[in-house]
Amino acid sequence: MCGREGPRRGWGRCAPSPLLLLSLLASAAPLALLGEETRQVSLEAIPAGLDPPQNLLHIRAVGANSTLHYVWSTVGPPAVLLVATNTPHSALSVNWSLLLSPEPDGGLTVLPKDSIQFSSALVFTRLFEFDGANTSEATQPPGDPYPPYSLAKFSWNNITDSLDPATLSATFRGHPTDDPAGAFANGSLAFRVQAFPGSGRPAQPPRLLHSADTCQLEVALVGASPRGNRSLFGLEVATLGQGPACPLMQEQRSIDDEYAPAVFQLDQLLWGSLPSGFVQWRPVAFSQSQRGRESALPCRAAPPHFASAHLPQSPIVRAFFESHNNFCAFNLTFGASTGPGYWDAHYLSWSMLLGVGTPPVDALSPLVLGIMVAALGAPGLVLLAGGLFLLLGHRRWSEYQPIN
Amino acid sequence: MGEDDEEARALLEGSPGEAGRGASAVPAVPGALPALCDPSRLAHRLLVLLLMCFLGFGSYFCYDNPAALQTQVKQDMQVNTTKFMLLYAWYSWPNVVLCFFGGFLIDRVFGIRWGTIIFSCFVCIGQVVFALGGIFNAFWLMEFGRFVFGIGGESLAVAQNTYAVSWFKGKELNLVFGLQLSMARIGSTVNMNLMGWLYSKVEASLGSAGHTTLGFTLLIGGITCILSLICALVLAYLDQRAERILHKEQGKTGEVIKLTDVKDFSLPLWLIFIICVCYYVAVFPFIGLGKVFFTEKFGFSSQAAGAINSIVYVISAPMSPIFGLLVDKTGKNIIWVLCAVVSTLAAHILLAFTLWNPWIAMCLLGISYSLLACALWPMVAFVVPEHQLGTAYGFMQSIQNLGLAIISIIAGMILDTRGYLVLEVFFIACVSLSLLSVVLLYVVNRARGGSLNYSARQREEIKLSHAE
Repeated sequence: MCGREGPRRGWGRCAPSPLLLLSLLASAAPLALLGEETRQVSLEAIPAGLDPPQNLLHIRAVGANSTLHYVWSTVGPPAVLLVATNTPHSALSVNWSLLLSPEPDGGLTVLPKDSIQFSSALVFTRLFEFDGANTSEATQPPGDPYPPYSLAKFSWNNITDSLDPATLSATFRGHPTDDPAGAFANGSLAFRVQAFPGSGRPAQPPRLLHSADTCQLEVALVGASPRGNRSLFGLEVATLGQGPACPLMQEQRSIDDEYAPAVFQLDQLLWGSLPSGFVQWRPVAFSQSQRGRESALPCRAAPPHFASAHLPQSPIVRAFFESHNNFCAFNLTFGASTGPGYWDAHYLSWSMLLGVGTPPVDALSPLVLGIMVAALGAPGLVLLAGGLFLLLGHRRWSEYQPIN
Repeated sequence: MGEDDEEARALLEGSPGEAGRGASAVPAVPGALPALCDPSRLAHRLLVLLLMCFLGFGSYFCYDNPAALQTQVKQDMQVNTTKFMLLYAWYSWPNVVLCFFGGFLIDRVFGIRWGTIIFSCFVCIGQVVFALGGIFNAFWLMEFGRFVFGIGGESLAVAQNTYAVSWFKGKELNLVFGLQLSMARIGSTVNMNLMGWLYSKVEASLGSAGHTTLGFTLLIGGITCILSLICALVLAYLDQRAERILHKEQGKTGEVIKLTDVKDFSLPLWLIFIICVCYYVAVFPFIGLGKVFFTEKFGFSSQAAGAINSIVYVISAPMSPIFGLLVDKTGKNIIWVLCAVVSTLAAHILLAFTLWNPWIAMCLLGISYSLLACALWPMVAFVVPEHQLGTAYGFMQSIQNLGLAIISIIAGMILDTRGYLVLEVFFIACVSLSLLSVVLLYVVNRARGGSLNYSARQREEIKLSHAE
């Protein structure tokens, strides 16, 4: 019965499997250092000693022979640096006075420099709002836009207050510095960052499979007053291109929606060829803190495009990458004009994984496999046993036949 | 006979709908086609057949209204899938009991004519209440409407069969059953493809989507039930007339339900019950939840999802009579059932574990579903003495409804918490249980030398030898 099970499981992954195979092959060679089972993860808020406080969160994930550095910061727009090194001893060094100066180049470094295998960054630049009424599903953008909120002009809480070493998480919570309409009087935009010492899956949808090589970001817009009755929100994310091209946006169809009911797609942003860095998310957001199918809204992603001119500068990205100016941006929009939306509960949350190496791939769960083995095995066994029984019975009967 | 001829002509000239309204208003024309008016002739029976087919159209059309409007119902009434599936469960609950009494009510209490009219009324009222629940934004009222609809729905099917037997026994009965089934499937198909469009039209005319739009859409759908009620009235009239002319008895289900018979049921019969329940719970609740599956997993538009969700019924419509004939000619019922169950299993596996075009799997499901219906139900007659047949069929339908009610709720819960893959795996497990029972049935039948798997020729020979 195991023999029956094998090929069927094979078709099951029919869509992602060639890619998976390729990535497995590729991962064997150049970046063998990455892809560790467990890591020693530490979170540290690096203080600037200034007022107002400047947030710089350093997540250091040390494996047997590699270290990953995630540097989250709200100096400028919210941004994260992702640096992978091939030694367990690499360290981050911050020069605050340089970092906060108009020319921050060199203010952030990971040492030793030659241990760096991969580095990139994400910058969350703007929060969009659209009038979602009277629009058809397919249009892009999904409605008339209101003036966007620039996240560089947000003020953020002190990260040390929300830093939780037990769950390895911290939350950046912010609102516009200048908010004449009072839209964020009772609301905030929060970036909850969480790192993991090993692989697993959170209890709350979309239940992305994480590993020690990844870090999860949960963006939540809570309580802000929308400017229209059926406002849709969107997020602009900027990133660094590798070489001449923008990172590749990939939509994987999957057969498995066990962890995110009725969502059969996994979106990925890949820098260069695998394995490098990746961003991974399910194209689903939620309109209620009790996340479930009733509050699930679609999340659409537009492919990245070059966008150097209008993007607000992120000091930490500039500080680490110096003159690198090959910026790409992509937009995410949450919800549609029909169905659940932000208007239900003034709540919107969306999650993504950021990591290095081969993106985690969902495998069929033991529950599914167990039931399938039992479901296909039992009739097979009975068929076999019954066949034998009848064969033997029949032979005996036919032996007696001539005597009668 | 003169008076009868007049009546017959009146019927001839009106369409079925008009005939009910005013048979006497149409002037008598001497020398009109006697064949169509003479209850003993084929042409007249065909007219009756047409009415019988439309008798079930309304209830089958409206049965799957929730499936056709799944997204709309869930959005407008703000319910999750579990509560949505209660609409199907509430349809099934009354029938767990009524399957035993439908026959009794028809035979002893109402008679076939009044019984049919009353059950049609229940269907109409149920659909109207269901629609009102939408208009008044009261989900409990919708559930109640489905309950009332359920009271009428299944019993109406029994009445329809009784009419068929009384008019066609010893003639074209199997074909008639097949055609009735086809008509039922056409009703479901039209529903799947029409209701979404109808909703958008109502939405356009009312200006916005919402529970009122849903309610009015369902109310318009209810017109089909009125059509069926009219058929019931005309049929009652024609049946009475035929009784007068041919001195034929009022049709009876002849069902004698003796619940104590249950303890005499043989092992093969129980296995047939298990096959039936486990098979149907993997088909109907799946269709009830299918539309969103096709849009989300395979990226179909709402229109295309409705179409593919109805393909099972589309295939079933022409294939039922054909498979009925095939099984009649070949016998070997267990083998046919085995084929049907195995291909259903394959269809569900394809749907669950591949991204192949779902038309393949759904067509396979449609074919196997039609085949199973033709091969499984007649088997009961081979393993049960004739006087227990009513009880056995009643019991089979009752537990089928019980299974559908329970599994509908469970399916909704699984979908909300675990998604479609696990739901499909759950359905695969159900079909596999059914397959297990088929295999067991085959073994038991072989071991006991039962008649279930005889070919048609063997059956013929046995019949002859009994006759001698």
